[in-house]
Amino acid sequence: MSAPKNLPPPEVLLKRSEEILAELERGPWPSHVTELKKTNYATRVYGVGLAARKSPWGPAAVKVEYVTTGVLSRWARDWVPGGGSELHFRVFHTPGKFLKTDWLRQVTKISKELGVGLIELVGQTGALVLNLTPEKAEEMVDALRSIGTDVGGSGDAIRALNACVGPALCEYALYDTLKWYAEFYKDKRVNDAIISPSYPYKFKIKMSGCPMDCARANRGDIGFIGVWVGAPEVDLELFRKKVESGELDPEKIVARCPSGAISWDKEKKELKIDGSRCKKSMECIRTAFPAIKPGRERKIAVVVGGHVKGRFGGKMGKPLAVVNSVDEAMDWVIKTIESWMEHMEKGVVKHKDRIGDFITKIGYKNYLKDVVNVPEVGKPTLHTSLRAGAVLDEEERAMWSKWVSEIVEEYKSRL
Amino acid sequence: MSEAERLKKKLPVPYTDWLPEVVKRNLGKWVDRKYHGYGVIEHISETGDRIFTVKVGTPPNFRVSTDTLRKFIDVADRLGVGGIKMTRNGNLEILTDSLDKALKIKEEVERMGFPVGGWGPTLWSINSCTAYLTCTTAVLDAPSITKVLYDYLKPYFTGEITLPAKLRINVSGCPSACGGFTTDINLVGHYGDAPTYDPDKIKLCLPKSAKAIEAGHVPEVAEVCPTRAIRVYGKPDGSVGLDIIREKCIACGRCRDVCDWIDFDESKAGVAVLVGGKASNTGRGPMPSYQVIPWVPAIPPDYVEIVAVVKKIIDVWRTNASEGERIGDWIGRVGMKKFYQLMKIPEGKWNRAVESQGEFGVRQFRI
Repeated sequence: MSAPKNLPPPEVLLKRSEEILAELERGPWPSHVTELKKTNYATRVYGVGLAARKSPWGPAAVKVEYVTTGVLSRWARDWVPGGGSELHFRVFHTPGKFLKTDWLRQVTKISKELGVGLIELVGQTGALVLNLTPEKAEEMVDALRSIGTDVGGSGDAIRALNACVGPALCEYALYDTLKWYAEFYKDKRVNDAIISPSYPYKFKIKMSGCPMDCARANRGDIGFIGVWVGAPEVDLELFRKKVESGELDPEKIVARCPSGAISWDKEKKELKIDGSRCKKSMECIRTAFPAIKPGRERKIAVVVGGHVKGRFGGKMGKPLAVVNSVDEAMDWVIKTIESWMEHMEKGVVKHKDRIGDFITKIGYKNYLKDVVNVPEVGKPTLHTSLRAGAVLDEEERAMWSKWVSEIVEEYKSRL
Repeated sequence: MSEAERLKKKLPVPYTDWLPEVVKRNLGKWVDRKYHGYGVIEHISETGDRIFTVKVGTPPNFRVSTDTLRKFIDVADRLGVGGIKMTRNGNLEILTDSLDKALKIKEEVERMGFPVGGWGPTLWSINSCTAYLTCTTAVLDAPSITKVLYDYLKPYFTGEITLPAKLRINVSGCPSACGGFTTDINLVGHYGDAPTYDPDKIKLCLPKSAKAIEAGHVPEVAEVCPTRAIRVYGKPDGSVGLDIIREKCIACGRCRDVCDWIDFDESKAGVAVLVGGKASNTGRGPMPSYQVIPWVPAIPPDYVEIVAVVKKIIDVWRTNASEGERIGDWIGRVGMKKFYQLMKIPEGKWNRAVESQGEFGVRQFRI
């Protein structure tokens, strides 16, 4: 990218940059700028970007022996006074993102001694991100490996897996999300795909233990969501007790059910849930647990093709299958990836097409039949393309500026 | 050890080795939970063990210095059970075994300047991509927008002011939307116009000779365009030219992802606002989010325009939604047209009022 237009002279730019950074250190919420200033990160470059209203970073390349993903490096653009560089590692986070304090102390030691003392506690890929300098890159990889984790998860490869906390700290978990998180990592085919970026685009696997979907499996290239068959289980005795004590309002529970599957007989004090209508919304369960619990017959719903970034805009996951265990779906993951790659060779799938784009191109029914050979058990809901952005002409821009300024006016006294 | 050993990744498995002792001991044995004000939750195990978790808000883009992180570790060792947990949305949770200690942890981290909150009908977190901290394609800086929003919305996080239901906000610096754009309120930076390009340097992204184009080669910068708004053609002098067809462009920035010499005019950039998305199957189920306001100016460092618009959306939702309704659930019930009316949003080409239809997630199956 070129320098911003009307860029002020360096001394003015730097002064403005410092003013903006100082401003961002004020206010009641903890400031990222305050944290940056405690480290050896090039805070000045960040400030110049804010003053210029353009990202100050351009692409660079740092080679780390036998580490092909998870290393990201930048040079400051030539218009940034004084220049600078930025390098960071994406490090595999711990399962469930639990951090034992003795282990985390080792991470801070590595960050302080081999890095620049700056950590992004969880990146958007789910990684733990450590900033460093090129001189210490080789040493830092080995240090991280010596404490049981590693660098990886960028580029057109399988990205860091994501699982909700599952049975480790949640009573709603319907299967062991963390176990399957580990099993996927152990699978040699998956491990190879983490190392070598050769896919059309990134591939994400997400696992949620219950329909509340804390891991957002609905947006994964492949997502696993714990469910049960039929109605939730009701412990009527406990439920009545909770009603009598005033802890639960049965009418409210009835009203909150999205499918009207619950009825409460006031006279007999009986609660009934119609399993055929239950949408697994978790509304009754999360209000009345453990008097209402998920049903005993547990399954895992597998969805495919969800993502934000992709050729045809963001997509919600489509139904693939309902299984008893994640390993039933392991081969589908591999088959989906292999077919995606074959279709790239054939020229059907292009670089930067996600699985969802691939399914759009070959058709959902054909995907089920020809790629994974799975009978159709659900019906995907269609939605319009999910996008952000607009190409405005001067008149439209003026219209929105005016619209916004009226809201600013309305809120001025409160800001 | 040979360096090729690095090809065998060290992965954090088996997972049980990575759990704090009390968590490991109670794996799969949790039977109940209780809330103790906002930001403190108690998990009760059938073994009688209890874990109290204190949820702490972190700086934008979840950036901390090692000095600050060590202070949290000290608190977790002194008052906790030697365990910290990060959430997917960047909150830092400290685990302990009694309510008394949990409240002491709350007090200590607040003294450090870090707020405790989340869970229930509050703002759970604002998720921000890295933007100007490291990204080469960012249009706007998400962390500084996040900082300003958090400064104004802190009482919604701590629970001093409650909301109809859970609220999440995502802030992304460009339409790649690494901060996500599928939650309750999403702000996504974009050019506000068709991209520009450096006429000389763009050659680095194009084939040298027009012959390649004649032979059917489509350079990636044109190929990635979802609307065929980038035309590449051979010039009479044998070189290659590029046109951006403004009428077809949707400002998605995909060309910018593959060619560093695609550019934009920063004075026209702004944020798009998308609302109503959620992942959870509660209420009306998982939902996508839709662009309702195509452009709001984004001017650092105070971003007053963005703050005012977000506050108005929250106010309109707070005033009109029923208890338990997230923004998407509420709009799903009253209709997008009604939302536009309450917000006085003019509908146009870039923000058609989409009425959500059908159900997503596990509701697409017959279970």
